[in-house]
Amino acid sequence: MSAQEMEKLKEALLDLNKAGVLEVVSATATTADLQAAKLAVEAIAGALQVVGKRFQEGEWFLDELVYSGEIAKQAMEKLSPILCDETQPTQGCVVIGTVFGDLHDLGKDIFINFATSAGFKVIDLGVNVSVEAFTKAVLEHQPVALGISCLLTPAAGGIPQVIQDLVEKGVRESLKIIVGGAALTEKFSLEVGADAFAPDAVTGTDIIRAWSEGQ
Amino acid sequence: MNFKERILTTLNHEEPDQIPVMGLIMDPSTVSQVTGKSATNIVNFLDKPVLGKVAKGLVNTNWFWNRMYYGNFALAMESSIQLGFDANWSIYALMKLYEDPASTLGTAMHDAYGRVWEMGTNDRGDLSVDYSRALCPTEAEWEAWVDAKAPLFDQLVKNATGFHKKLADKYSHRIMPIGYAAPGIFENSWQAIGFVNFTKLVYENPEFVKRVVAFQTDLYLRYLEGVMDSGVEVVLGGDDLGQKTGPLMRPALIDKFFGESYRRVAELVHSRGRKFIFHSCGKIYQFLDMFIDWGFDGIITMEPTADMDLARVREQVGHKLALVGNLDVSHLLVRGSHKEVDQAVRDAIRAAGPGGGYILSAAHSHPYVDATRLQWMVEAAHEHGRYPLQG
Repeated sequence: MSAQEMEKLKEALLDLNKAGVLEVVSATATTADLQAAKLAVEAIAGALQVVGKRFQEGEWFLDELVYSGEIAKQAMEKLSPILCDETQPTQGCVVIGTVFGDLHDLGKDIFINFATSAGFKVIDLGVNVSVEAFTKAVLEHQPVALGISCLLTPAAGGIPQVIQDLVEKGVRESLKIIVGGAALTEKFSLEVGADAFAPDAVTGTDIIRAWSEGQ
Repeated sequence: MNFKERILTTLNHEEPDQIPVMGLIMDPSTVSQVTGKSATNIVNFLDKPVLGKVAKGLVNTNWFWNRMYYGNFALAMESSIQLGFDANWSIYALMKLYEDPASTLGTAMHDAYGRVWEMGTNDRGDLSVDYSRALCPTEAEWEAWVDAKAPLFDQLVKNATGFHKKLADKYSHRIMPIGYAAPGIFENSWQAIGFVNFTKLVYENPEFVKRVVAFQTDLYLRYLEGVMDSGVEVVLGGDDLGQKTGPLMRPALIDKFFGESYRRVAELVHSRGRKFIFHSCGKIYQFLDMFIDWGFDGIITMEPTADMDLARVREQVGHKLALVGNLDVSHLLVRGSHKEVDQAVRDAIRAAGPGGGYILSAAHSHPYVDATRLQWMVEAAHEHGRYPLQG
């Protein structure tokens, strides 16, 4: 993939031009060229970083964040057959789920799109995730970070229970925990023992990227 | 002035005798603290072998649903009166119980518009009902839904009139009942389809989205007529256009797809000689000028946790919009000290009270809102909110 094609792909994504994005990645997928596929992923990740910055600065809105993430997701799906031999994540593994008592997934799913495109392997536990399921996944995947999403205030009480169970199983110290969702505040998040609060999916991705890079 | 004169004077941007105070639906947990009576929590019956089956059957009858629903809101009105509010708003909803394996309880509420509402019992032991997902994620499913549910829409409008009229007949000599016509056109449009799918359709199939909005607008106008037929003098509309950090959609897109609908809403309410107050959660500064342009008379909520500052809102809109809110429900009205509540009330009155056009209230209803703090809020309003305002 040439620099010009990478730029075309990036611009198409920033124009929310789904057809344009899929045209470029389909052509790349047809070649089965691993190096080209990696460059396409790099262009997509670069574009999503710009999307994230625009969102954080108030230039773009949630609909644009969601739609760009969905386009990126479809593009990655087209590229994944070529990348399947190269599944070693560059950034590490993240486990995420919506806490028990809560079935909302919008913020979590936007985060997954952005974190995946940023190079993380994301284990999605879904919604209404029990304490035991969070702990089991952490023990199994040994992620660099655990993400807990929560939209409903009454469900927020489940977050300290998840963290307490991780403490009791002896895995809390080696794990970073990030929480986010409309029911939560930074104050609450830190009080219950999380390491960080993500006001939005983009900031959440920035935070786990910084953790992964040892910052 | 009585409570009604106080509210109407304020909404005309004139100074009443004192700052009015309004309740916001009143969460069942707050209601039970005030009245000592709990709202009916059907979740308590669902897992009982015989009783559960009977309860499910009963809840799905129009008669029982309306009886239960009215009973819960009658308690909310009683609690609002006890707290000394000048007004309280009430909302009617029509839902049916369905077996739903995807829900936590295996049973969930489905509303007339195509949403799933997850039921539960909060840690206070009271019923919680929250929107969880869409039932019509595709164009074909949405079309089939609205075709099949036409009788339910008729029932919804008829029931809403009856509900608000019954509350008004019973309570309007003690408190001003306000009819909350919600969810609104935006939420009814996207929540039956789901936000991700709706967003995709906005970009990929705008003609279908326009069809959805047109359908929901016509239905909402019918619904509003039904609410106003009950005799309520102030109507609230509700659509959450914001989330914590900003608008849910680019404001220009909202204006493009929904602006004309909102104008029709305001025109209809005004044609019946009433005021239209709009509820939206989230950080919504970028919509305030649109609200004025669309013809709204006021806004309610202004969540401090979404960075909404009452003084900044007043500065932006002047007296073109009446303001209702915005006491914090994350800390202040949950576990704030008497002094903090008193100070917050003084600050709010100072920011938005001069010249009228401000009604004090919590920013939102919430199960953790403490009745004692609400009482302090009312007392502080009476102490610091007498016109002419001091300081």
